[in-house]
Amino acid sequence: MSVEAPLQDSSGTTLKRTPIDVTFQPKKNTVLVSHGRPPWYGEDGHRISDAFVVGIAGGSGSGKTHVARQIVRALGSIPSVVILSQDSFYKHHTPEELALAHASAFDFDHPDSIDMPLFAACLADLKACQQSNIPVYSFTTHQRLEEPKYLYGAAIIIAEGIMALQDPGLRELYDLKLFVQCDSDLMLARRLKRDVAERGRSVDGILEQYLRYVKPAYDNFVLPSQRHADVIVPGSNNTVAIDLICTHIRGKLQERSTHFRQKMAVPHLYASPAIPECKVQDLNLTILPQTRQLQGIFTILRSKATTSQDFIFFVDRLSTLLMEFALQFLPYAPNTVITPMEVAFTGKVLSAKYVCGVSILRSGGALERGFRRVLNDVPVGSLLVQSNTSDAEPLMLHVMLPVCVRKRHMAEETWVFLLDAQIGTAAAAFMAIRILLDHGVKPEHIIFVTFLVARGGGISVLRRAFPGVTIVTAGVDDIMQEGWIEGSQGQGKPQGRQVWAMLPGLGQIGQSPSVAFRKTYGNYAPRGPLLPVDIRQNAWISRS
Amino acid sequence: MATVVSPVAPPQPATNQSQMDPLPPSVFTLPQTAQLEALYTIIRSKETSRGDFLFYSDRIIRLLVEEGLNHLPVVKKVVETPTGATYEGVGFEGKICGVSILRAGEAMEAGLREVCRSVRIGKILIQRDEETALPKLFYSKFPQDIASRYVLLLDPMLATGGSAMKAVEVLIEHGVPEDRIIFINLIASPEGLRAFCTKYPQLKVITGWIDLGLNEKAYIIPGLGDFGERRYCE
Repeated sequence: MSVEAPLQDSSGTTLKRTPIDVTFQPKKNTVLVSHGRPPWYGEDGHRISDAFVVGIAGGSGSGKTHVARQIVRALGSIPSVVILSQDSFYKHHTPEELALAHASAFDFDHPDSIDMPLFAACLADLKACQQSNIPVYSFTTHQRLEEPKYLYGAAIIIAEGIMALQDPGLRELYDLKLFVQCDSDLMLARRLKRDVAERGRSVDGILEQYLRYVKPAYDNFVLPSQRHADVIVPGSNNTVAIDLICTHIRGKLQERSTHFRQKMAVPHLYASPAIPECKVQDLNLTILPQTRQLQGIFTILRSKATTSQDFIFFVDRLSTLLMEFALQFLPYAPNTVITPMEVAFTGKVLSAKYVCGVSILRSGGALERGFRRVLNDVPVGSLLVQSNTSDAEPLMLHVMLPVCVRKRHMAEETWVFLLDAQIGTAAAAFMAIRILLDHGVKPEHIIFVTFLVARGGGISVLRRAFPGVTIVTAGVDDIMQEGWIEGSQGQGKPQGRQVWAMLPGLGQIGQSPSVAFRKTYGNYAPRGPLLPVDIRQNAWISRS
Repeated sequence: MATVVSPVAPPQPATNQSQMDPLPPSVFTLPQTAQLEALYTIIRSKETSRGDFLFYSDRIIRLLVEEGLNHLPVVKKVVETPTGATYEGVGFEGKICGVSILRAGEAMEAGLREVCRSVRIGKILIQRDEETALPKLFYSKFPQDIASRYVLLLDPMLATGGSAMKAVEVLIEHGVPEDRIIFINLIASPEGLRAFCTKYPQLKVITGWIDLGLNEKAYIIPGLGDFGERRYCE
């Protein structure tokens, strides 16, 4: 009974899901996700803790990358981790420096060749759970490439490089500092082997470079920096050391996670028992005018007897109405045009610098066609947020955002339409808004568009945490009810699944490649008294 | 147990009544949001490409058709939801039929089809008689049972109102009661609107925008030029 969607890293490459310990080969500068990232914020919407940052220094060929990979592997089912390499931060070279580099006469081992302030800035962004666009350095052209690499969402960051402990600015960011100690002969032997095999260099060239730059740099800068390290790790036969380090990291992560886990998913369970009745007027929702047609559409969508063909058609029609209505919350400026009658007309023009859509998979896809119908030339990103089936905790599984959100300076001027079919427990909405804010999108630039909001659901918590966000909905339902679905769970033994349903509700809205459809409830049976309690229920949970 | 929540509608900007205050009781306009204003600004500009003109006029037409449908009657209907709750909603009542005034009105048929699948559509061709200078019926084709249907009359521009009034005359001759016709247009002139509503006070008119007036050639000012020409030919 787990999520069937393939996991992906930030570049869109599909990672094999199981078993993690065998196929989990971390690449540098990639966010690795094994089972989704749990909330990194509290119910007030604020970040609870920074990402955990490990710095690994050591001589060239000492086995830093190996140690980093060992740690990732030993951590096993980690939420999300990135290995950040110092190599990415070589400075942008002038033509003269380039000529030297191609003649193997440029000192790449001096601290000055590394863009330390940029390294520290990127690391600080990632540590603060923000996105970072890190430079990409090409060893073939000895130059920084134009297009940076986008990283977001790591709970653990491992920064490795010979100068990783050199810079005081960097050292301040680390939660754990490691130095990989290795014998000089061994390091030279590894370096020779690697550079010949992987970079196609001559032995003479490598030795000359080693004597001229690598060895002096190691003696002058790298080795002295080991006094800053918390732990000195042997460069080989280091299983025990890795084990100790991982135990420490796991302990630290555990400390941080205990604060928020279930609180977010089921906020009302942990709030005071006497919850004041939540009134629609207090929620600051923007509701589509309840016209006759809208009421008629809702009646069709809610009815159990509606065919899936009709359901698709009316979902589509409603989403177009909703999007047209939501568009009025974009900024407009006066604009004068000349009509074909040669008369001036002063009207309005859209004055938002960037506009994009982000749909919360998979039910947000039901709104995407309507969105496309009114905004046909803007990028649409997606977020995959699933509830953990065991404790209903929301998990961030996949982030695919438009460029105007990925780049922080653009994100500040971007208006985002967040699309999701329903706000029930609001856990996915909560996470999606937090992700956008992490990227630098202003709360007042976020317009959340949805078909249905449950008044007694997580909306009140969402509203308290993010009062600036505009929420546009076609309707409001009264309560959420605890229910139970009976049926087999795939390969596993037949068992029930707990769900929380909106009442009267319209069922679960799913999304196949191009059309919206409704997931029926199977043998749904209401259970227990009606409680104004919520758990995210409209996540797509595959039961086939 | 379940109730229809009647939430508070957000404050809407005042409709554009600057050209006509008060509006005749049978005239309805779209909420005049900045966004609607921006749509009109695009289709009015002579610099707008044909592709953009199609896309943005289609969006306005869809909004107008949705508004027009809101004037059709509904009946109470109780349904059971997938969660087992009952929901007291409404069901659509009465058959409808679209009638477009050729040729610009044809452009609005697609918008009607998008919200009402398999809707019946009739057509009327009315042109000015060069001898009498009055609108003359050249061609009409309606579904046989048009008299029992609600008719959405489609013509993008209401200038003098001559052809629209002629079209209504033809529909009434075919047995459609006046109060079962809803006339939908994008832009109307105050003169045309006044003449039309005086002649057919029972007939509901949905218009997107009321413009300044007519020029000496009876074109709407500031208008958007010849809708059919821009849609099909330019």
